[in-house]
Amino acid sequence: MGMSSNPPYPAGTVITGKWRGNRYVVERMLGKGANGTVYLVQREGRRERYALKIGYDTLELQSEINVLTSLQSCRKRSEHRARKESPLSSYLLESDDFKDRDHTPFYVMRYVEGRPLHHFLSRNGASWLGLVGMKLLEKLQTLHECGFVFGDLKPENVMVSSYGEAELIDYGGASPLGRSVKQFTEWHDRGFWNAGSRTGDENYDLFAFAVLCLRLLNEEGLKSAAQQLPQTRSVDELLKLARNLPDKKLASWLCLALKGGFPGSAQAAEIWRSQIYRARKTGKDTMATPRWLKNAFALSLFLLAFTIYWVFRF
Amino acid sequence: MKQILLITDGCSNVGESPVLAAAHARQEGITVNVVGVVDYGTIGELGSREIADIAKAGGGLSRIASTSQLAQTIQMMTRKTVVQTIQQAVNKEVKKILGEGSLEELPPQQRSQVVTVVDELTETSPLRIALLIDASASMKPKLGAVEDAIRDLALSLEAREGRSELAVFHFPGHSSSEDAVLDMDWTRNVSEVRSLFSRLKMRGATPTGPAIFKVLEHYRYDKLDEPRDYLVNGDDEAREGMIGGYVV
Repeated sequence: MGMSSNPPYPAGTVITGKWRGNRYVVERMLGKGANGTVYLVQREGRRERYALKIGYDTLELQSEINVLTSLQSCRKRSEHRARKESPLSSYLLESDDFKDRDHTPFYVMRYVEGRPLHHFLSRNGASWLGLVGMKLLEKLQTLHECGFVFGDLKPENVMVSSYGEAELIDYGGASPLGRSVKQFTEWHDRGFWNAGSRTGDENYDLFAFAVLCLRLLNEEGLKSAAQQLPQTRSVDELLKLARNLPDKKLASWLCLALKGGFPGSAQAAEIWRSQIYRARKTGKDTMATPRWLKNAFALSLFLLAFTIYWVFRF
Repeated sequence: MKQILLITDGCSNVGESPVLAAAHARQEGITVNVVGVVDYGTIGELGSREIADIAKAGGGLSRIASTSQLAQTIQMMTRKTVVQTIQQAVNKEVKKILGEGSLEELPPQQRSQVVTVVDELTETSPLRIALLIDASASMKPKLGAVEDAIRDLALSLEAREGRSELAVFHFPGHSSSEDAVLDMDWTRNVSEVRSLFSRLKMRGATPTGPAIFKVLEHYRYDKLDEPRDYLVNGDDEAREGMIGGYVV
């Protein structure tokens, strides 16, 4: 808030690490998070591109780096056991201070090419939600297994590649399980809906995930529910929105998540996998009947009735 | 840690200077944050300068916010001030141990450890926040939003691991001799934050300075059963307390 006053670095800026000496060339800005600005960079002398986040505040960014470091070591341990199932996913490549500019701290991570979840779905269609949602739940599950909650889960913080690979970006809101949630966004926050505490537990992320689904499928409905007076705002409004969704299996999954009914994200992911991801519509797609067709049908019925009446009268 | 959060929409016009009162607060180890609430229009140059000055004297932050941003703004300020207070205390310790400058100059490995300690203390140190609400006539339409913001703050405090307590005052009082009225004494319970201001009678004057002094008195009066606040007194026990509170 008001901290991001620095203008972005122009393309071609070389960011040199003070401690490790690596040099990164800025290609363009990717986005701004609460704790810093993210750039697409190329390591000098190499072909791979990375995402580099430069912080506004040393303490905040270091705190984020600490989370990523523990995630990284947790991931290494589990990969050691599971024989590298996904060697590409890596939370943190290195962290350092920008040598020339006030020693601003930065860290380098894998670059996820794609678009934010809401853009991805509006471009490719809501039928991708089953797959992308599952990928996202798997990410959350890994995070929870390492003892962290994501906190600020929203479509803007999820990157999706062209083939539905989902990746969480911006770990600035992540905090250890059982601690208070550091960063959150009103609509996605359990406390905002009078639906529970702001203590980071697995269900906090699942709640935010459920709101994320509602937002992707019925943003207008969510918006009007959120505009209620704080005293009357309640999770019942969200449950109502969920129940009105055409996909009944998805609806009941969302209701359970909103009520905090899952024992944890592992079970939530498992049920999503079996009930929503695998339950692709078999047979022909049912398409909603357009309104003009309904109207035309009503008109023809009326005409028929009128004709019959007319025929029998004479 | 002790904080006062003043929520107001204009200039003080009665009694001692609020800037002086805030300076006193700081002297007693209490940080003063100020939010200026505006809706439709501005708070005026004089008002916004006073708001900034009070916060500066009180070692805290000041922000101007509309009612719709109020909850978020208060949340952010409170958190930032807690972190700041702890960072200052920890920085002092770091200097003592390493003889080095600020956090920024530490090598990454050590910095990471220091920040782990700061994060830990941010979550676990006991915290007391006295909210001081300007209830002069012009604030009336905004009190609903203020109450909502207080509830929201209480919810966040409740999630902290450390003991967190909230008290609420409003000013001016019922008579001209009463500078501020205690609406809710120290509580850890969110559900107590309900219909705080429903029976409020609005009055015209804005004795911000005297009201801050009144809150200071309340802090002093309460000293006996206060949770031990080891960060503010810089004695030897403070270090033990800090390290003892650091669990990996």
